[in-house]
Formats: sequence, structure tokens, C-alpha cells
Amino acid sequence: MTTVLEPPAVAPPPPRPRRQRTGWRRRVTARSVVSTITILVLLYLVLGPLIMLVLTAFEDTSGGVVITPPFPWTSQNFIDVFTDSQTYSVLWTTVEFSVGALLFAFVVSLTFSWLIERTDLPARNTVFVFVVAPQGIPGVISAIAWSLLLNPTNGFVNLVLRSVIHSKSTTGPLNVYSLPWMILVQGMALVPLTFLLVTASLRGMNASLEDAARTSGSGFGTIVRRVTLPLLKPAIIGALVYEFVTVVEAVDIPLILGVPGHVTVLSTQIYNASHPPIGLPNYGVGSTYGGFLLILALLPLIAYNRVVGDSGSYVTVTGKTFRPKTQKLGKWKPLAMLFAWGYIFVAFVLPLAILIWASIQPYISTVSKEAIKRSTLGSYRKTLSGDLFITALKNTLILGLSAALGSMVLAVLVSWIIVRSRSRLRWMADVLAFLPHAIPGVVIGLATLLMYLLLPLPIYGTIWIIVIAMGTQYVSLGTRLTTGGIAQIQRSLEEAAEASGARGWQVWWRVLLPLLRPVFLNGFLLVFLASIQNLTLPLMLYSTGNLVMSSLIYTRWDYGDATGTAVLSVVMTAITIVAALLLRRSSGSRMGS
Amino acid sequence: MSAIKVEQLEHCYDDRGRTVTAVDHIDFEVEENEFYTLLGPSGCGKTTTLRCLAGLEQPTSGTISLDDVVVFSSRSVVPTHRRDIGMVFQDYAVWPHMTVFDNVAFPLRVGKRQSSSVIKEKVHEALELVNMDEFAERQATQLSGGQQQRLSLARALVRQPKVLLLDEPLSNLDAKLREQMRKELRMLQRRIKVTTIFVTHDQVEALSMSNRIAVMNRGVIAQVGTPREIYQTPNSEFVAAFVGATTFLRGSYVGPASTPGFVRLETGIGALIAKTDKAMVPGEPVTLAVRPEAIRVTEEENLNPLTNSISAVVDIGLFIGEAVDYHIYVGDELIRVKGSPHSRFRRRDKVFLEIPPEECVLIHTPTSAVESPLDEPEPIFDPTVEIV
Repeated sequence: MTTVLEPPAVAPPPPRPRRQRTGWRRRVTARSVVSTITILVLLYLVLGPLIMLVLTAFEDTSGGVVITPPFPWTSQNFIDVFTDSQTYSVLWTTVEFSVGALLFAFVVSLTFSWLIERTDLPARNTVFVFVVAPQGIPGVISAIAWSLLLNPTNGFVNLVLRSVIHSKSTTGPLNVYSLPWMILVQGMALVPLTFLLVTASLRGMNASLEDAARTSGSGFGTIVRRVTLPLLKPAIIGALVYEFVTVVEAVDIPLILGVPGHVTVLSTQIYNASHPPIGLPNYGVGSTYGGFLLILALLPLIAYNRVVGDSGSYVTVTGKTFRPKTQKLGKWKPLAMLFAWGYIFVAFVLPLAILIWASIQPYISTVSKEAIKRSTLGSYRKTLSGDLFITALKNTLILGLSAALGSMVLAVLVSWIIVRSRSRLRWMADVLAFLPHAIPGVVIGLATLLMYLLLPLPIYGTIWIIVIAMGTQYVSLGTRLTTGGIAQIQRSLEEAAEASGARGWQVWWRVLLPLLRPVFLNGFLLVFLASIQNLTLPLMLYSTGNLVMSSLIYTRWDYGDATGTAVLSVVMTAITIVAALLLRRSSGSRMGS
Repeated sequence: MSAIKVEQLEHCYDDRGRTVTAVDHIDFEVEENEFYTLLGPSGCGKTTTLRCLAGLEQPTSGTISLDDVVVFSSRSVVPTHRRDIGMVFQDYAVWPHMTVFDNVAFPLRVGKRQSSSVIKEKVHEALELVNMDEFAERQATQLSGGQQQRLSLARALVRQPKVLLLDEPLSNLDAKLREQMRKELRMLQRRIKVTTIFVTHDQVEALSMSNRIAVMNRGVIAQVGTPREIYQTPNSEFVAAFVGATTFLRGSYVGPASTPGFVRLETGIGALIAKTDKAMVPGEPVTLAVRPEAIRVTEEENLNPLTNSISAVVDIGLFIGEAVDYHIYVGDELIRVKGSPHSRFRRRDKVFLEIPPEECVLIHTPTSAVESPLDEPEPIFDPTVEIV
């Protein structure tokens, strides 16, 4: 046997160099083609709707959207919006609503983070799971649950309270259809994610920084005030900015709790202008409000970039950390436990319990012997065998899977351009992929709606228009994950494949994609979960042909079918909790995000 | 015929609007089966040059031929995957999602179709070559640094490439393993006969392994030569300093010595005799390079007129095991000497430095284009300091 590694007797024919005549043609490679196409797709998805939004804001749409020239250009929409005193009260309510909810969410989240990471609170891991668990309940469902609990006429808690205080009144004493309760419900809805964001950085924070303060003679209060909180500042501000967009973009809680109590915020204002209960939609005015909301969402983001944008001095996260010395709660332990379990009961157990109770009751009542006797699974049978439910379930699956697949594929390509390519369009990919994160969902919904009203593509009114809007909205989330994922793959792993004779697609298929699989799967589930929970886009783009679970739940509720709504909510919550469990397993830690 | 031919290679890149020239019009040729080393400090352009050869960087201009095939010129570019090369990366670039076998088989599988039995045979031969055959079924992530290094080498060789490119392959190993791999790599290269380009910043690696060394500095090649030429007759202060600790002495030419081929110089430490063939005029400025191990420390003056024996005072002697690292002053001039481990001179001892004239290397005119290494920020003078 001759050794294989000896040079072959007959030299193989030398590879033919690729002829490239002119300077610019040298750059036309598979890489640049893929980069260019990806950026064009992003441009279309992100900038297209935004341009439509701006154009529509300058158009007279009182007679409907004009789709052929001549376009009725006007600045009337702005005059209407600016001279309407309601605009300013809506703006102020939006600020009150979002600031209040954020304040609540951050105080609760910081307290929980500290209790779990830094004290000897009993059963910390269980508390952790239950604080995060409400993430599995979509906003629309928690709003409905709270309405079932606290609506002034037959809210469960109100019924109980009235019988306790022997009140003859038929309403009250509590009214969830008011700004303070909306703030509370929204705040509780924000806690899981806020908590995850804050606790991750608290855990990553090098505990020796706190120990150093302790050995320097600082007391507990001083350490928290002078060391822990300042070091957490970037994480807290980052989470604040993110959650602020979450609050102002959503229509679920403002629609379900705000509309009956005549509390209007910008997102519901936009929804009402484009989906009025009576009369024609006024897309021009809607777009003008949309512009307002866009600016409102962008402001904190710009401020954030100025505060922590390029600050390397905040790098406190290290790979190796040990668990810091835990603070003994001592005599405060019962109080801390009461807080923790009390909150879990109110934010998680109570809403779920009322949904299950309502789903087996023909009508809302307090718990009594007769009521328990009335319990029936009949409404499950009725609701779940209906065509609407089957259609909605099918559409929800299509929506979740397609939006997740689409945005993750796009995210991988974009991240690859950002991290790896030497393309001059790199910055553009970066900005375009980040933008949807800053655009409120209700604005994306409106802009997408306008775009496909005009474009002669047969997707208006189908599930695919929601898929496109959803994919656009979550491409930022996906990119955040995949950019980190690709950056962690050493460049030399790809170069080694090239030097081994692999072509471009072979490098992707055999090296890059297999290495990215965990990140891709994690992002896929995350987007899937977010997409099926989202009510804003399905409602903004709603038509009879594209009903999904969230919009079905809302329409049943709007129709007045409390039991049916409760049934659907229980089923939907079960689905999302299963998806969330899968997500936790795929991310391989108890982080869940 | 040369296996590798590089002509007027230039590589510029854009750093926030500023054009930086990493490689500045260099030329070199590598003979078939030669072990050719690019040696230089970080940022000298050696790795960029290697990456241009691999096609991982696109040169700005110039011509590269591998095995008489033009792989880069202003008219044509052969992409990396169609160049007949094998490459070992500094961080090994072992694919963590594959087994050892799959890693080595990769170049065969992505190339033109071969039967799996042929692939299997070739992979096992390549693994045997680096003594890794028993690990074939291991997951790549379960290997130690040294094993990953061997695996990476097997992967680079499995296609039997015309050219083997090694990008600082030993720098991530610990000192002991590095010494062992140095020997193994060199013996392997001799056995399988493959033209090799080796990039390193470690002068010991370069000197011990190469047929020829090209010392690079700031994008240009400062000197090309065999390890002995580079070490014993450096052509510039930079090369002298980079390939080992050196004392530089400034002075001027006085006249010829009594023996032909030797000259008399006046330097900062007094009159010296040095060996040179260069013709000079009296008063011409010169720079002398003297290696620390070329100097002997003695108690008594050597009166032989054909050697240099200079009175000096010991500043400090540091015992480092195989030698004593003496810092010795001649007047104000500090001179490093590597003394015998048995010598026991102490601080303030009066001694004589014996410097053989043939060890006094005359460096070319100090006004040459190669910049003085004294501008370099890195501590490149001390051979005991790891250069990063």
C-alpha cells in the first residue's frame, strides 16, 4: 500500500481562475448577493410600512384610502389632531398609564430579584418559577381575568365584598375599568419579563464587588444604594426602555379595561381611528396618532443610547461568579414570605382560578354549594367543537410557526451580515433589524394594513398579512439572539471550512447552521410564543378570514360571551404554558429568555 | 520552479476612514518542500500575508502563485475553497459539533465525491500521522489543547495539499508541549514533504524549525535568510533585537586592524576590533550588535591584541539556572552578558569583558529604512518575556 499522503504521481489539473474583467464585477459573489437580498427584504418589511404611515398621515382619508392618483394631500389630519383637546388628555393618560405600570413592575421585580438572589428566602426556586409563570398568560387573557374578578357589576371579588359588607348597591365597591386598576394589571403583566431581565444581571454581577463594599465597612443599606443599584443601572434602564415600548404599543389591556371606563391611551386611539365601531375608518388621523406614538417610543430609546450607549465601564458580568453571602432575613422572613406568596396568589393563582371557575359556570357567581352543583363542562364541548375555534387554532399554528420561522431565518441572515460580512451595507442591516423593536406594535399593524390595502398582493384579509407584520415585529428579538450566537462562533471555524475546500453553502450547511441550532431553536420558540400571545397585530389586521386564538378570545369577550371566553382562555393558557416549558428546556437554564 | 511566489503583495484596509497598510509591497519565493517562516512582532503583517495566501483576505494589489498557478492577480481570483492548501489556525478551529473523524473527513467530504471506504482510509492515515488514530470516535470538544492541535494538523494534511499554512499553531500550548510539538511538527513536515509557511512571533520556534526565515516589520520584510544568517549576521537593529537579546554599541570607524578582514572602531565602551568586509572611510558612524552569550566575563585582562578585553563593573547578576544574567556597566554603557552558571561575580566587582571580534556584528547604516526597534512598544528585547 502506498501511503496516501504522498504527493499523487499525476498532478491534478490546476483550478481555472475565475475571470473577472472589471473592478466592480469582482465584488459580485454569492455572499454579496445574499447580503443584498436580505437587506432589500428588510427594507421592504420595515421601511415600506413606515413610508406608508407617513404618506397616509398627509392624506385626506375621510372618504377612505385613495389607492390611485390623484392623491388628496392635506395637512388637515395634523390640524385635527393638534387642535383636538382630547389629544392632549390621551397623551397625558398614556404617560400616566405607562409610567405607573413601569414603576409598579420595577419595584416588584427588583424586590423579587433581590429576595431570590441575595437573601435566605425559603423555597427561592419555587418562588422564581411562579414569578415567571404569568408570562404564559397572554395580556388579553389576564385583562379578561381581571375583568371577571373586578368588574363593578358582577366581578367575582365585588360579589364577595358586597355580600361581606351587606351592601345593597348593585355595583362596586371596586371598579377595574379605571386608570389605577389598569396600571396595576399592566404592571403585573410586565413583572415576569422585567424580573428575568433584572435578575439575570443581578446574578451575573460579580458578588465580590458587594463583598468589597462590605469589607470597606458599608452597611446593608449603603451597599444596595451605593454599589448594587448603580451597577445594575444599565440593566435596569435597558429593561425600562424595552418595557416602555411594550406598554405603549399594546391594545389588549387598554381595550378590555380602558374602553368600558372611557380611559383612552394612544394605542386605543389609533385602534379606534382605524377600526371605529360605527362609520368609516379614518386612516389619516390614525396614522398621525401613529406618528406620535412612534416618537414617544423612540425618545426613551435615544436617551438610553446616550446614557449607556458606549459605556464600557459597566461591564460587571463575568463568567465565573460565586454565590454571594446571603442576607439573613431574620425577623423579616415572615413578612418577605407573605409578600412573595401573596403576590403570586394575586398575580397568578387568582386570575387562573377565576378563568377556570368561569369556564365551568353558566354565569358568573360566587362559590357556593349551588354554584358547584351548576358546574358543567358543557361550554367546553360547545366552544371547542365550533368551526371558529378550529379555524382560529389552525390559523394560530400557521401564524406562530410561519412568523417564527420567517423572522428567525431573516434574523440569522441579518446577524451574519452584521457580524461577518465586510459589506458597506452592514450598518443598514443593523439599523433596520433594530427598528421594529422601537416601533410600537399598533403602529406596525396600522402601517402594514395600509400597505396591503394599496399593494395588489392578495394577502389583505388573510392570515399571511398577520404573519408578515408579526415576522417584521419580532425580527429584532430574533436578531438580538442570533447576533450574539454568531458572534460566539469563532470566525476561524468558518475559515477552516473554506480552507478545507468547502464552498459557501457548504460552510453554512455543515458548520454555521449546526452550530447555531440551539440559538435558532430558542429564538424560534420565543417568537412562536410571543406571536400566538399577541393580540395587537391580529386585531389591527383583523378580518373574518384571519381569526387567531387571541382575536377570537377578544371578539367572544366583546360579544359578551363570558363563559366561552373563559373556556378559550383556559385552553390558550394551557397551550402557551406548554410552549413556555419547551422554551425553558431549550434554553437550558431557568432563565427562560 | 518555486512552490510559492509572491510579488509586490500589498494589503490595505480601512480603519474608520484611515487607510492602514498591513502589507507593503512584499516579494518572496518559497522553494518546494521548504519550511519557510514569517517571523515578526504582532501587527507586522505576517498573519495578513498568510491569510492572503489562503484567500481569506483579498490583497489590494500584487500577485500570488501557488504551485505555478496564479491564485491572485489584478485579473483573477481563485476563491479559498479552490486553492490547494491546508491550514492550521492559531485557535485550531476544531468544529465542536463533529467527532474527531468527522473533522478530519470534512475536507474530503466537501470536495469531489469519494467512496466512504477511501475517505475512511485517508482519515485514519492522517490521524495516524499525528498519533491520534485511537481518538477517532471522540467528540472534538473532549480533546485537550495539544490533541486539538494534532487534529487540526491532520485535517489540514488529509487532502495532501501542495501548501501547508500554519498560523501560530503552537502559541496556545503550554511551554512543555510547545517544545515537543516543535520537534514533531518539523519531523512530520520532513517526512511527508510539503511546502510549509509558518507564521510565528517566537524567535526560538522560527530559528529551530525553519529552512529559511523572513523577518517582517511594519508590513515589509526586513531580512530573509537561514536561521544562522538571521541570528549571526542580522542586517538591522530590528532583526538583531527581535531574534534575541542584543546590546547595541554606537561608534565610528578608525581604520583597518593588523589582520586583514578586521577593523578598528571607536565606541562608547572604548576601542574595539570587529570583523567586517565592508569598506569604510575613517569617521564613518557604525552600530555594533553583540549577543549576550558572545561575551565572556573574566577576572583578568586578556592581552591578546586580536581580541577585545574591556574593564567593567558588575551591576547585578541574576542566577537563572542555565546561566547568570549579568548587567554590567562599562562607563555609562549597560551591557547584558549571559555568563556561565558557575561564575559568581557580585555587585561592584571589577571585571573584564572579553568580546571576540568575530562576534561584533556591524549593522548596516543606522539611517536605513528599517526603523529602530527602540520605537517598538513591546518588550521584545528580553527572550524570557513571552511576546503576545
